[in-house]
Amino acid sequence: MAGEALLAEMEALRDRVAGITDTALATRDGLIIKADTVDVDPDNIAAMAAAMIGLARQMAIEAGRGTLHEAVARGSGGYVATYAVGTSALLVVVGDAGLDVTHLYRESRETVEKLNQLITGTDRRQRAGDARNLPGRDLRRRDLRFEAGTYGLRPTPP
Amino acid sequence: MEPTKQATAPSQHPDQVPVAGAGYDHIARALLACEVERLSGVLRVTGEPGGLIHLTDGNVTAIETAGAPGPDLILVRSGRIPEASWAGTFTSAAAGGRMASELIERGLIGEGELEAVLRIALADAMFAVAGGRVDETAVEHATTPSLLPLEQPAAPGWLLFETSRRLQVLTGAADLVRHDRDRVTADPAARSAAGGVLPSGQAEIIALANGRRTARDMAFILGRGVYSLSLELSRMRANSLVSITSRRSIAPARHARQQAPQSTEVPANADQRTAKASDLPRRHQPGRQPRSAPAEIMPPPSSALLRLLRLFPTGDRDSSGSADAGAET
Repeated sequence: MAGEALLAEMEALRDRVAGITDTALATRDGLIIKADTVDVDPDNIAAMAAAMIGLARQMAIEAGRGTLHEAVARGSGGYVATYAVGTSALLVVVGDAGLDVTHLYRESRETVEKLNQLITGTDRRQRAGDARNLPGRDLRRRDLRFEAGTYGLRPTPP
Repeated sequence: MEPTKQATAPSQHPDQVPVAGAGYDHIARALLACEVERLSGVLRVTGEPGGLIHLTDGNVTAIETAGAPGPDLILVRSGRIPEASWAGTFTSAAAGGRMASELIERGLIGEGELEAVLRIALADAMFAVAGGRVDETAVEHATTPSLLPLEQPAAPGWLLFETSRRLQVLTGAADLVRHDRDRVTADPAARSAAGGVLPSGQAEIIALANGRRTARDMAFILGRGVYSLSLELSRMRANSLVSITSRRSIAPARHARQQAPQSTEVPANADQRTAKASDLPRRHQPGRQPRSAPAEIMPPPSSALLRLLRLFPTGDRDSSGSADAGAET
């Protein structure tokens, strides 16, 4: 079900931005999570994108150009853009020569945020939320319980 | 130069209204205003796909848009110029703005053929921009000159007339495949049904019709015009070679919907939605006089088109590729 929701978000991005041919969601170390591809090998793209975004981030730091927004490769036939999704995943977008990269960057923000929420199972606003916000506190407790369960520890009593 | 913007009225969903007519009218007003004022620079069209219309003395030299392949892509993808030769020419001449003369000097293309390709690409790009969603237009300085401008710029009247003609032809197509949103799939029996022999150009279209691509997408792969591919796909759909299996849902403009009622971007003296020609910024050109309004060049924008569009029902938003697709612009 979560996989379908991820794919729906990726397809929605392809729907909104003319020129996108393929998209792939991968873990930060390059393992494919979900692919909406036909022209490219998703496993290869995912592995290369992990290296690409890591190198681009280091390059931005080395050159003193701040936080990395996107890593874009442009060829004679089009573009490959990679975006970080939270701290654990990345989104690869492949487009043709007509792809408007500026438009893609703006449109991809919303998609990246939604993908991140689907992956982490939380809403960032709630997670970061106001201490007075009771639902936010409940959510953080649930997260702790989830993480404890995941690592085989005894869940914290609510 | 302070950009002057024109905002549209709140737009309805593109599947509910014939946006081609609205987009065309908006661009026609802006372009004709630029022609009257003999503006040089760029007319930035914000929308879907939007684009940049390069102007010299009010005439159009080039259009850049995500909606249609530019002349560079058409020249290379169609095989007229090998990619390596193009890259070599680009390296030596692009920075100096001498691409056209360098291509001709190297014998890669004849002057007449290049002129023809540039005009075809120009008309196709205008078709893509005017046939899409137009949120606003703004006249700006050209920060980056176009790579292959027309030596003899195109008059807006001709360009608009040609665009209007193309939109009307497609509107009249019985099994219309919309260039920017209809994704087509080849009928599995298409080749055998045609006796294994398909007309020139259709076999490569069949190979690309995998349900994920629109006519626009195929145009970028093949280096062909979006309009001609749309027309070809419509014919193929009529012959049951392809069918529409899904559609891009192009969203209405977000900011235009919010701003339009009380837009702050419309000049303060313009209580109407469109700026007059005199409201547009003007580059100082000593000795030049504004042209007379080009009313005699072309009929009122898209009046015939709008009459045609009214013939069709609205409100269809299905994604099944059913027969109602023929009712859309």
